[in-house]
Amino acid sequence: MSETIRKEHLAQASIPVQGMSCAACVAKVEKTLKAMTGVQEVHVNLLSGKTAVTYESNQAGVPQMVKMIQAIGYEVPEEEILLTVRGMSCAACVAKVEKAVKGMPGVTSVVVNLPAESARVKFYPGAVDKARIKKEIQALGYEASEKVTGQEALDREKEARQKELVFQTRNMWIAWPLSILVMIGMFRDMWIFPYFVPEFLGNVYVLWALTTPIAFIPGWQFFKHSWNGLKRGATDMNLLYATGIGAAYIIATINTFWPDAGFGGRGAAFFESAALLTAFIVLGRYLEALTRGRTSEAIRNLMSLQAKTARVIRNGEEVEIAADEVEIGDIVVVRPGESIPVDGEVTDGYSAVDEAMITGESMPVEKRAGSQVTGATINKTGSFKFRATRVGGETALAQIIKMVEDAQASKAPIQKLADFVAGHFIAGVHVLALIVFFFWFFIGYASFFSPASTFILSPYNLAEVGVFGFALLLSVTTLIISCPCALGLATPSAIMAGTGKGAENGILFKGADAVEASSKLNAVVFDKTGTLTKGEPSVTDVYATEGFVREDVLRLAAITEKPSEHPLGEAIVRGAKKEGLSVGDTDDFEAIPGHGVRATYQGQTILLGNRRLMQQQAIDIGNLSKKMEQLEEEGKTAMLMAIDNKAAGIIAVADILKENAKVAVERLQQMGVQVAMITGDNRRTAEAIARQVGIKTVLAEVLPQDKAAEVIKLQEKGLNVAMVGDGINDAPALAQANVGIAIGSGTDVAKETGDIILIKDDIRDVVGAIEIGRATMRKIKQNLVWAFVYNITGIPLAAGILYPFTGLLVSPELASFFMAMSSVSVTLNTLLLKRFQPSFRREQLKPSINPTPQPQTAR
Amino acid sequence: MSELESKAARQASVVYTVLSLAITLVFLVITWVDGNAYTTVARVGGMVWVFILSMIVFMPIVIPMVKKRVMG
Repeated sequence: MSETIRKEHLAQASIPVQGMSCAACVAKVEKTLKAMTGVQEVHVNLLSGKTAVTYESNQAGVPQMVKMIQAIGYEVPEEEILLTVRGMSCAACVAKVEKAVKGMPGVTSVVVNLPAESARVKFYPGAVDKARIKKEIQALGYEASEKVTGQEALDREKEARQKELVFQTRNMWIAWPLSILVMIGMFRDMWIFPYFVPEFLGNVYVLWALTTPIAFIPGWQFFKHSWNGLKRGATDMNLLYATGIGAAYIIATINTFWPDAGFGGRGAAFFESAALLTAFIVLGRYLEALTRGRTSEAIRNLMSLQAKTARVIRNGEEVEIAADEVEIGDIVVVRPGESIPVDGEVTDGYSAVDEAMITGESMPVEKRAGSQVTGATINKTGSFKFRATRVGGETALAQIIKMVEDAQASKAPIQKLADFVAGHFIAGVHVLALIVFFFWFFIGYASFFSPASTFILSPYNLAEVGVFGFALLLSVTTLIISCPCALGLATPSAIMAGTGKGAENGILFKGADAVEASSKLNAVVFDKTGTLTKGEPSVTDVYATEGFVREDVLRLAAITEKPSEHPLGEAIVRGAKKEGLSVGDTDDFEAIPGHGVRATYQGQTILLGNRRLMQQQAIDIGNLSKKMEQLEEEGKTAMLMAIDNKAAGIIAVADILKENAKVAVERLQQMGVQVAMITGDNRRTAEAIARQVGIKTVLAEVLPQDKAAEVIKLQEKGLNVAMVGDGINDAPALAQANVGIAIGSGTDVAKETGDIILIKDDIRDVVGAIEIGRATMRKIKQNLVWAFVYNITGIPLAAGILYPFTGLLVSPELASFFMAMSSVSVTLNTLLLKRFQPSFRREQLKPSINPTPQPQTAR
Repeated sequence: MSELESKAARQASVVYTVLSLAITLVFLVITWVDGNAYTTVARVGGMVWVFILSMIVFMPIVIPMVKKRVMG
């Protein structure tokens, strides 16, 4: 290789390396990289942790260098950037951006989302930087900027959408009136038009003058975008439009000014094709700008709920400041009807707060001193003060918005097929257009052409069209009808609507793959404690023997247990207080390890414990033994009580089921989902709980670390398993399951593991998550079927498959109308998902037609 | 655009133009040998259209291949 050629290939990269601690590490990295073919120079800086490499780009690349560095035990950290990319209009645009960015040295992954207008890029800093990535996308003809969040994002998005709408509205105002005039002029000699259409409108020069601004003002965007892509080796649907409009316009122009050139003459001046083709494409763009983005309305609604101002106490005075200026520790005052500005803890006052926008819970929640309040929820009745605990990007709302945005920027596995097809579609369609042209030029025209040929839904006659004009028409129509816009919108628009619908109901999907996986679930494993049950023991039964009163038994048991710190004792004290019984103090208290407790109260000796305690004290428990066995069979912990050496009764304590556990399990079983329960508890207690809730498969006595293994066993049986549990304790099992569902996380969603986060502590949301997943996937499948059917039927029709039998052709303008309608219909079909409600939510909403009593403010 | 990119673009343009011209030549040859009589306009118009479509087909295939080979 000559020196000149070598110099041309020389490139430099600065790769960050982590884990180097001494000069030996430096030498090791330098030696390894220098040994690579094509690497010229390596300088490792230990202090900055950077490795500067000069290499021949045709022999070595950054990914190989990174692999070598990782192979010798060091890390090369990746950086991630989330960009807003505006101007993309179809799956081919997505493929175009992905292809261009992926081709940059140092970029490891790119995920572009069309409806979210986002691109998530992972790269090795030093090998490439954010500015270069943005520049690369901008060079393709799209706007690229770093994604912002919160109100600023809302404002920018609104501004960009408004700009696009204004632009396409202007195009509509130019394209449509002129196109209608062109159409009237073209058909001036037909039907009743000669009676009222002035003759000059049928003049070809006038028609040319009317068509030219349509092709070059509203149509210019397609020429510009397609050229930007083409010169970088990328194609998109703009190219289809540009070739279609360009070909129709050029032929019409030639036939106008040089009618004898042999292109069919003035009788084959398809001005209306060029004009209406542009008008329909612009209409499609306009409708897309109107409807796209509505699928993520849930997020926008959440953002718009955010309070703009907050009233805080500063220096003892109430002052109004911007909500984003509230600091942690500030005391915030909230009045009735106001939106709560940030998250915090109530310090003073009482009210009911509508949290529906965060949790999906329709009933207002009471708040008093010590209660947690969430920003963006609405105070209904009273006034209160709270101390700000989370502000800015830390608030629950900010976390939820980020999570949903991340989910919407990801791709569902089902989208791979659409991406693959769309990515190869444009080149494929041009090959097809070439084949169609060759066929009709060399074979079709001579074999099938008839001067009586017409376009479908048009009286236009093709008698004067020659072989070239005829083959060109079919070739152009094939290009126009083939646009894969619907294919590009089918999956991501439904994912956006589905994840938004989840957020509305307090169900947060962490990614598009979670939505798809949840739709395929056929087994759900519930963790018992804290998931199916409340997670803390409660008094379930109080039984008094003859001569004793139930309330006295409970009260004295509570008094006896009051000094004890045992969880069962605490449950009895809570139970007594809940029933309004006064729990006094014992005169004397003694814990008897392994047996129970003994206390004296107002001269009475009270014993509370197990059978052995009673045997030891020689107390006859009579028929209480049978009752006790029955309670134990139900999975409860039963304690015998004796007063002054006489058996007085039994108190049973158990971890009780959550309110909606049974109905949720029933609904899952109705949906054909196998339900299992997993717990570390003994089998008898576990089975008792399972019986109550209607679960037949019980995995008992499983240690926390073995829960993941149990999930694997179910997966080996071919089941798609969801694990529902505590997002922190059950993390390994949640990670192993096909879908990990963390329940009852409250509003600190960022800490949770799992693929789906349920904000509320309501098991019915597991059903809701599966229903939303299934509804979203149904919508995706409908969209994909529609998009594929459209292209599969449209292309042969446009290529002239019916022509030999019917003499009818699809005109370019009809093709562009079908193309515009395909993407609009997919978007509208997706918007129907907005009406979907999970079954339990539907049931909750039904009674709310009647006015519900509002919680009263404390006087 | 860096020097390497310009070089890749130059090399690619030669390749896709030659390939497109080859397809266009095939079209022209068929117009002579298939037995039908074509007007000059049909022949030239056809060649232009075939050349444009061929360029559109070859550009996205050739550019990334050459770019990868030149830039690594």
